[in-house]
Amino acid sequence: MRFLVTFLHELGGLWLFFRDIARLSARNQKALRPLVMEQISQVAYRSMGTILFSGFFVGAILVIQFYLMLSKYDATSLLGGLSASATIREIGPLIISFLLAGKIGAYTAAEIGTMKVTEQIDAIRCLGTNPMEYLVVPRFLAIVVSSALLLFFGLLVGILGSVLVADSLYSVNALQFLESIPRFAGLWTLFGGLFKSLVYGTIVAAVSTFKGYTASGGAKGVGIAVTQCAVYTNLLITLANSFTSMMLDGFQGALSFFTGGHG
Amino acid sequence: MSIEFKDVRKAFSEKAVLDGVSFTVKSREILFILGKSGVGKSVTLKHVVGLLKPDAGEVHVDGVRVSSSDETVLAAVRRVCGMVFQHPALLDSLTVFENVAFGLRGTDIGPARIHERVIECLRLVHLDASILERKPIEISYGMQKRVSIARTLAPSPRYLLFDEPTTGLDPITTNAVNDLIHELSRSLGVTSVVVSHDMGSALRIADRILVLDEGTILALGDRREIRESHVPLIREFLSEVD
Amino acid sequence: MGALAIRRRAHMLASELSDVMEIIVKTLRACVRGPRRRAEIVEHMTHMGVESLPIIVIATAFAGLVVTSEIAFHMDMALHTVEMIPGFSGQFIFRELGIAIPALLLVAKVGASTTAEVSTMKITEQIDALKLLGIDPVEFLVYPRFVSSILMVSCLTLISIFVTLACAIAFAVINHGFSTMEYLNSLTPFLSTKDLVCALVKGAVFGAVMPIVSCFYGFRCAGGAEGVGLATTQSVVTSTVLVIVLDFLLTYAFSLIL
Repeated sequence: MRFLVTFLHELGGLWLFFRDIARLSARNQKALRPLVMEQISQVAYRSMGTILFSGFFVGAILVIQFYLMLSKYDATSLLGGLSASATIREIGPLIISFLLAGKIGAYTAAEIGTMKVTEQIDAIRCLGTNPMEYLVVPRFLAIVVSSALLLFFGLLVGILGSVLVADSLYSVNALQFLESIPRFAGLWTLFGGLFKSLVYGTIVAAVSTFKGYTASGGAKGVGIAVTQCAVYTNLLITLANSFTSMMLDGFQGALSFFTGGHG
Repeated sequence: MSIEFKDVRKAFSEKAVLDGVSFTVKSREILFILGKSGVGKSVTLKHVVGLLKPDAGEVHVDGVRVSSSDETVLAAVRRVCGMVFQHPALLDSLTVFENVAFGLRGTDIGPARIHERVIECLRLVHLDASILERKPIEISYGMQKRVSIARTLAPSPRYLLFDEPTTGLDPITTNAVNDLIHELSRSLGVTSVVVSHDMGSALRIADRILVLDEGTILALGDRREIRESHVPLIREFLSEVD
Repeated sequence: MGALAIRRRAHMLASELSDVMEIIVKTLRACVRGPRRRAEIVEHMTHMGVESLPIIVIATAFAGLVVTSEIAFHMDMALHTVEMIPGFSGQFIFRELGIAIPALLLVAKVGASTTAEVSTMKITEQIDALKLLGIDPVEFLVYPRFVSSILMVSCLTLISIFVTLACAIAFAVINHGFSTMEYLNSLTPFLSTKDLVCALVKGAVFGAVMPIVSCFYGFRCAGGAEGVGLATTQSVVTSTVLVIVLDFLLTYAFSLIL
């Protein structure tokens, strides 16, 4: 109960913070662009290696699990399609975003939190610059964009991982594997994956900047901010995952109803 | 033209930190706000630049009521009030040059003039141009402190606010920083407010000293008056100096 | 990168590895010496359980719903049948979803807060104070966390499998007209006690990794607020990657014996 109250309270604060960011990013876009571009390159450069490395394993894990299940039905010809679809639509975005929550989210919370408790943010304000505009908004936008970008590449590598594992460990021929993908995953699947990436990116960006910006109480405070950032991001991502999945399925259902085919 | 506190009250989670504080800072003086740790000295300072808002009472800077102004008005106030934080609070992703030039962002000053102004300010705090391209982490703590003062000087403020400028420094650096504050205040003709718990520093450079305790003003007077005070807390502070 | 830089990197890596090994060896030695400080271990376990249970229950419940809906969706699309929903969703929950999701959540919840705590102790010189008092910080801080984390993560894994499965069943019952018994009956041929053991082993391994990694980053933290933030971030990232890689290795190893 206490947990729920705190969580809702935090969610309220997060919403107000998010509104501020949205208002500020609509304003003064020209001045924002170079700051955002710089942040995107930094975020992407810092995290690409980790994301690709883990994306590979996520794909590999899924293909093993699906092979185990499908082999009991003698349906390994579906392996490529099912595991690729699961990688792109569901488990891939989920697990890779957990990683983004640590790699980008916790990092940003630590960075902004440190600036907060060492009075750097007050200093910026005293020098006549709005810290929200200077620090938070560019990071927020950059995280949204680069999360989507990283997730996209992570998923591609995930499929690569599943092809390699299927081919080398289970002698499911790579060609056969790839051929079965279009049966399950089309443009719509890709769109769904990208849509989810944007939603998760927004969550990572909003929570991390919020927790960093509201940190207080020295080194200990930074530690707490980073921890809470990681926890809330992961929790919100799992919740958002369910809602986006249901939403996308609903859309796809409606779509195939009108076009009479699979998306 | 001055800073004025009128019956300012501020509490943090029920605990009154400022309990009806009123005083006026005179033009071009060096005012020390003295007190034990945690009696609201830094809180007082943060009220001047609107980083904190009072629960009751008013704070005026040059006739502007800071205590109830929005961010645009505050931005103007912050341009005339330079705040030097306890820790250098330099932006650690930026170079020394970019840090000192930070307050000149978004003004119509050209790049050449900005460069000149940065060098000028570094010279005022006895630093030379050789450290311009270094990051804060690559220079000593004493230097960081000076750079942070230079950063505050760059937009040519009328008021300088120092938050515990000598806390945690060794006696030699303490004296150097005190002398720097004194020298800057006199040569630039600015008004300085210094928050400190160091009576020695206060007796060395202050024009007036304000002693804060339990959220109220215990005494306000020049060096001689404070030295001759019979208030127990002030006697205790004085005994630390001799 | 010059030869010097490479040598420096290699040197750093070697010293980090030896630090990790030292923590592992000391912790295991403390474990071998027999169960001591039981009260403390129980306290850590309660703390960990109470703190993480709400998050894990909420998150895995939603995961159960959505995965079942996804599997149903795929089955319907590819095979035009929903008969395989219980087998597929049940196996997937038992072998992967019910284990990996809580582990990744715990990395954030418990791993990060342990690093934050230990690194704050480090920079406020509390760790040095322990050493001066003749207390080994590894034994004092890591050992109880290690034992309690292994036990508690295994427990939480079981709980989350249960919750996820319950939600999956609920979904299948409401949306696809299964009865609970039908669902369980068509799932049981695919599962054995081996699956349960494998799930527990995975949980225990993840539980063992977390305190080692988070204390390692806590112990080597330096330099104020920035250091604490950095240590906590690195701890979360390293643990997450380790959980994913170990999950792969264990999944493959189990696939050979299942």
